[in-house]
Amino acid sequence: MFKHKRSTEDFAEEIKAHLELEADELKDEGLSADEARRRARSEFGSVSVAKERFNMKGRALWLEDTVRDVRYGLRGLWRNPGFTLVAVFTLALAIGANTSIFSLLNQALLQALPVADPDQLVVLSFAGSHPGHTHSNGGNNEGHHHEFSYPMYRDLRDRNTVFSGLIASAPADVGVTWENHAESVSTEMVTGNYFETLGIRPALGRLFVASDETAPGANPVAVLNFDYWKTHLAEAPVVGRSLLINGTQFTITGVTAPGFHSMVWGSTPAVYVPITMQRAIEPDWDYLNDHQSYWVDLVGRLSPGVTRAQAEASLNPLFRSLRTSELSLQHDQSAKKRQEFVNASHLNLDDGARGFSPLRDGVKTPLTIVMGMVLLVVAMAIVNVASLLLVWAAARVREFSVRYSLGATNRQILRQLLVEGMLIGAAGAAIGLLLAPRALHLLIRWMSGRSPQEPVFSATLDWRVLVFTIAATLVASLLFSLAPAVQFWNPRLAESLRQQTGTGVGGSLKFRRTCVALQIGFSLLLIIAAGLFVRTIQNLRNVDAGFATDHLLAFDLAPEMAGYPGPAVAPVEQRALDAIAALPGVRNVGATNDADLADDNVSGDMTVTGYTPKPDEHFDAEVPWVSNGYLQTLGVPLIAGRYFTAADTATSMKVAIVNESFARHFFGSALATLGHHVSRPNRPATDAVIVGVVRDVKHSTVRAPAMATSYTLFSQAERPDGLRYYVRTWQPPDGAANSIRAAIANIDPKLVVGDLTTMTAQIDDTLLPERTIALLAMTFGALATVLAGIGLYGILAYSTAQRTREIGIRMALGAKRGTVVGLVMREVLVLAGGAIAATIPLAVLATRAVRSELFGVSIADPAVYGFGILVIGLVAALAGFIPARRAASVNPVEALRSE
Amino acid sequence: MTTQNGNDERIALLQGTLDLLILKTLVMGPCHGQGIARSIQRQSEEVFFVDHGSLYLALQRLEDRDWISAKWGVSQNNRKARFYSLTKKGRAQLHEKTSEWLRLSRAMGLILSGGATPGGEEA
Repeated sequence: MFKHKRSTEDFAEEIKAHLELEADELKDEGLSADEARRRARSEFGSVSVAKERFNMKGRALWLEDTVRDVRYGLRGLWRNPGFTLVAVFTLALAIGANTSIFSLLNQALLQALPVADPDQLVVLSFAGSHPGHTHSNGGNNEGHHHEFSYPMYRDLRDRNTVFSGLIASAPADVGVTWENHAESVSTEMVTGNYFETLGIRPALGRLFVASDETAPGANPVAVLNFDYWKTHLAEAPVVGRSLLINGTQFTITGVTAPGFHSMVWGSTPAVYVPITMQRAIEPDWDYLNDHQSYWVDLVGRLSPGVTRAQAEASLNPLFRSLRTSELSLQHDQSAKKRQEFVNASHLNLDDGARGFSPLRDGVKTPLTIVMGMVLLVVAMAIVNVASLLLVWAAARVREFSVRYSLGATNRQILRQLLVEGMLIGAAGAAIGLLLAPRALHLLIRWMSGRSPQEPVFSATLDWRVLVFTIAATLVASLLFSLAPAVQFWNPRLAESLRQQTGTGVGGSLKFRRTCVALQIGFSLLLIIAAGLFVRTIQNLRNVDAGFATDHLLAFDLAPEMAGYPGPAVAPVEQRALDAIAALPGVRNVGATNDADLADDNVSGDMTVTGYTPKPDEHFDAEVPWVSNGYLQTLGVPLIAGRYFTAADTATSMKVAIVNESFARHFFGSALATLGHHVSRPNRPATDAVIVGVVRDVKHSTVRAPAMATSYTLFSQAERPDGLRYYVRTWQPPDGAANSIRAAIANIDPKLVVGDLTTMTAQIDDTLLPERTIALLAMTFGALATVLAGIGLYGILAYSTAQRTREIGIRMALGAKRGTVVGLVMREVLVLAGGAIAATIPLAVLATRAVRSELFGVSIADPAVYGFGILVIGLVAALAGFIPARRAASVNPVEALRSE
Repeated sequence: MTTQNGNDERIALLQGTLDLLILKTLVMGPCHGQGIARSIQRQSEEVFFVDHGSLYLALQRLEDRDWISAKWGVSQNNRKARFYSLTKKGRAQLHEKTSEWLRLSRAMGLILSGGATPGGEEA
């Protein structure tokens, strides 16, 4: 802006010259030398102020003008409180929503783990076959298997040269007893170097070190998560004290620093235990020495100076050689097996700054969709404020024309408009930022539903969110303040101003129409999106599961969490069944180790007598262990044979019941199925004879089709397992829940009744992503409709007022009121109709992107579109009708005088 | 723009007008700050009061815009002074602003003197 910088001295010199010149002149007018000097100084005003103003000029000339613009803008906004309120409020809502959703997106997809130097972390996964048992929480895809065996982890950790630390962890649910209070919590089994490698400090005591990971069962120590310690243990002095985990005593060594949860994003464990304590956590399994149990997730920290590519290149020969020696331990060592297990194997190192996270994959699509919707709302708000500013600016034509005449330049006018826009933007952003954490808090609470776990998301805004919000506000402010600027920034301004004054025509009319059309389009898009998601939820809720989901309570009971040894588990589970069956109002009770409609699966391949598998056939069936009253409790209809009965006991012949899909796959018909034997491959103890066939029911979720299923009895199973109980009762859920808790406590107070809920609530839990999208879509749809209403009303009220004179003439010439209303309404509805017609094809295109999240509803669903058009049509009509009526009630004589 | 005292006879200059007056003064030839101030005051028959702080700021602004240029010289009575002169750009600005101003003041005059028919606005 300034080409050459003048020095302060130069300026001081000029002032000095001025004073001398002035004094000379005054002397010539007859004053004494002293008097002349004094007068000259006083006439000049404060020399120091002048100097100061000059000194500050670099910033100050600009700053001074800006300050003046700000003051002027504030005065203008203050004098138009209605306009200011609506504009600021509109922006605050849009920016608040935008900030909240972006904060979630940021936490899920962008934020690094709260650990030291997260950029050095890498997530390990491998390609190649993995025969045996995998214990996964998701997140795996072709060529990226994230679970490793513990022996493999140890070999990689001890023999690599690229990591300053390689850590492993695995999650599990356990029963924790603290001061005689038992509850079910989530835990993370971690390696001894876990906290040290991540750079996590203790808030209290000490965290694990390498010597906490020595031999299986030898390290009964525990570290508490800060949040759990704070919310569940009331910040008690815990170091050195012990708690029971699944009945085993663990000594608490410390508490983690606040903010840290896990190397797995989305995992919020309450307690950390050394990985060597796996058998205490999962008593039924022995993973630690098994090369074919894949259950730990690996994260490495690269040594300084080592790149990811270098590390990957250095690790793969090691991995290959470890796989080769693992192969020698296996039964099948054919060339094909070698090809799959060794030659096709590859170790991948992926960026781990954000941590490994199966959950991330699940929330990515919903969050992106919601972010898209919120950006539409923001776009709407921009158009809204732009049109409001335009209306305001049009009323200021005279003000601007006077300023131009007084020598204001285009740049000055433009800056004035920008400053005003920025003021509105800043106020909107400030309120929006205040609203965002509150809205986030509500949303997070809603999303965590009944889950007792710490929510994954936090309601705080980090720097990235702030930067995003500020950037969004700047862009938005720039856009909407340029709307009137474009109108005024005109080289042939005088003419253009004259044209616009007084009449509703001119360049701005087209712009205003565009605004109206955009508003209608944006809100129609959002209403249609909301409609599609609401339909999806309705459809999902109305899916026929194959059994009645009402009057059904469910809860978890895992006697192992209360310290019951293996053989004692099934008997106490049976006692619980009997005790609940005896409760008043209970029709039926059953239990399974494979919860229904809870997004859980327990599946594996089957060997069936009398059936020859096709070559390379791999057919997985669902293999739940159930109680003998389970199928009757759910109400799964019997097609052939019989249900399980009380006569089927631990010692009687092992029996199985299969479903239609199972029967169809293996035998073609239900009747042909009876009498055949089923078992798990290479596990002769699982052999059972099929005694019945039942109808297919939904199992995993209401979205997923039914799977082939083979039910066997938990009392005849190879090993004990925790069960989920289902109680069909006609009592109200709360009362029934209390009597169930009492009945279980009566057996043993240490038993934890976990996740007690109604079946319908549980189904809702599995629909959480869909319900969240639907809720937000409805919120944004409603918001957009309100915004569109306000925007339309503002523009129409203005343009109608502009036509007062024309309307007055028409009425003076004999037009009826109805005709005048019709005149205005016709314009509105033609405009709305055009906008709607242009939006529909766009909506069909846009909704294709969300097709994967829809269920049972077409992206061109006529009801949804019809509803959207109706709503937006009504809003447009209402927004037009009010100004139209006002115009029609105009007194023609006054209207003509209004200029 | 501020007035220094409550002198009713003097009018505080409107924003933008000072620039125009400076340009106009410089049409007569190069002049220093004190001379410009005197000249404006004198030519307006002492109606305008020029705040000197604002004057020098305005001079700087015009210089930055390349409407005027400045160089040190010597005044008639042998004092060192910084002389401002109109650039080509400044001359064009003066021309444009003057005609705008005249149109505005003519319109104002027409309305305020009351006798004339209301013009300008056609509906």
